[in-house]
Amino acid sequence: MNIAEPLLAAIEEFNKFPGIGRKTAQRLALFLLKRNEHEVKNFVNSILDLKSKLHFCGDCFNLATEDKCEVCLSPKRDRSIICVVEEVSDVISIEKSNEFNGLYHVLGGVLNPLSGVHQDDLKIKELIKRASNGETKELILAVNPDTEGETTSLYIAKNVKHLGIKVTRIARGIPIGGDLEFADEATVGRAVLGRIEI
Amino acid sequence: MTLKNLSLKNFRIHKKSDITFSNNLNFIVGGNGQGKTSILEAIYIMCTTKNFKASSDSELTRFGGNEFEIDGKFEDLTEDIIRIYFNKSDNKRYYFQNGKQLNRNAEIIGKFPIVLLTPEDHSLTQGYPAERRKFVDSVICQASELYLSSLLDYNKTLRQRSNLLFRLNENYSSSLIDQLEAWDEKLINTGTELIRFRMKFVLEFEKYVEESFRFIVDDSEKPVIKYDYLNSYSGDSIEEMFKKLLIEKKDEEIRRRSNLVGPHRDDFIFLINENELKIFGSQGQHKTFQVALRFAQYFYLKDKIGRLPIFLLDDVFGELDSKRAIRISQYLKQVGQAFITITDFANFSFLHKEEDDAKLLITNGEVSYA
Ligand SMILES: [Zn+2]
Repeated sequence: MNIAEPLLAAIEEFNKFPGIGRKTAQRLALFLLKRNEHEVKNFVNSILDLKSKLHFCGDCFNLATEDKCEVCLSPKRDRSIICVVEEVSDVISIEKSNEFNGLYHVLGGVLNPLSGVHQDDLKIKELIKRASNGETKELILAVNPDTEGETTSLYIAKNVKHLGIKVTRIARGIPIGGDLEFADEATVGRAVLGRIEI
Repeated sequence: MTLKNLSLKNFRIHKKSDITFSNNLNFIVGGNGQGKTSILEAIYIMCTTKNFKASSDSELTRFGGNEFEIDGKFEDLTEDIIRIYFNKSDNKRYYFQNGKQLNRNAEIIGKFPIVLLTPEDHSLTQGYPAERRKFVDSVICQASELYLSSLLDYNKTLRQRSNLLFRLNENYSSSLIDQLEAWDEKLINTGTELIRFRMKFVLEFEKYVEESFRFIVDDSEKPVIKYDYLNSYSGDSIEEMFKKLLIEKKDEEIRRRSNLVGPHRDDFIFLINENELKIFGSQGQHKTFQVALRFAQYFYLKDKIGRLPIFLLDDVFGELDSKRAIRISQYLKQVGQAFITITDFANFSFLHKEEDDAKLLITNGEVSYA
């Protein structure tokens, strides 16, 4: 096989992306090769900016360009409600739904002993500290309602109980912004069974 | 739902068999090792992806061959053609539905409900509690997707929790105990859901077993199923019992690094007239109970899913006295399509092939009609 080294290197890099196989990686690399220099530079800079200009918000661990994220900085957000999610991608999908006007807290995962993830590997301590700031009145646990997610919710609920704030969670199987119409029989049954307040 | 045709290529002793079935009873007659049970095995694989006799697919491949193929045509409201292809070199099975390969073979599970009665069913009444849990779980799962998802959730919780117990055993810390309490709560929530499901199921299923009993033996014998959960611990509510037991067993759980409390340790006790079958039952009563459980499963599923399952009966008459055998043969007239293997029709003079039934003779993997 005789492929020019720079092309091969680019293919290797694209191949590392989630969901990108060898063939697609090759198509993407060849696509870039056909763009003009300016376009390619824009693309590269946007990727570099991702790393250099973005970091995690000091309060909620959402992505931020400053010390704090735009949600935390906004004066329009309701500071008494915190929505607890697993990953930054969850913040993005909830923000897209325009249904929520409170603050977030990104845990960075869920409890998973089999994969070696325990409470100290997550931003749970930080959450408990935030929840006890006197301003917080309600926690919405919007963690994925699977085995590990539910246990993580139970763990958090147990550890903020003494604060006397309201703790709710989304019912199992109904995704945020999801429509009952599209949920299958099993998940609808679950949602009905699932208590909302913990 | 019925299976119209079946074609076997290099499957067990069958080099190439093309069989057309009756919508009613199909008596499959042949001596030992002639290939009659292989037909049931092939049907079972099509409906469940599981082997009930062979330990590997290589074992199912005809001697000297490298691949086998099973083709079946099912008829319900629609017609479905299922093809299964296996070859030894990739040691993999491929499932096709109407010419299209399935992404996951497991997609086929539940499409064609099936009930199997085999001589191995003696373990249902005489074996370990795990055999009875497996039976109960499989019946409820066939009828309820919700139960299936709870069961998967519960098993995942057990795996996570036992890992945590293992860590606690190695390295005890208050932080891990703090986390364990959350897993306890999860175990209680999901476990209680399973227990409630099983309670409801036993209550309902018992009536089906009673009905089956009445067909097989006299009214004098009344079957009872007792669900024995959480070590028969008494308490105010299931959750309370669960919680108390977990506290009681905590140290032992950490010492033994395993989950000692929950529905994964339950049992189902079978009784006839208040006498525990396992202790007081005769051979004949055990056999009756096993047969009744399978017939009950058949009619329960029929009512729950609103479709007629396929009924496979492997060598059931061989182990029964003639009185019970005659009754069961009568009872079979109430089911839809069934496949019944027997060694020799002549030994079972009470069996009558009705006009709609089929009688297949199997000799050395060759099929003929009688
Ligand atoms: Zn923030």
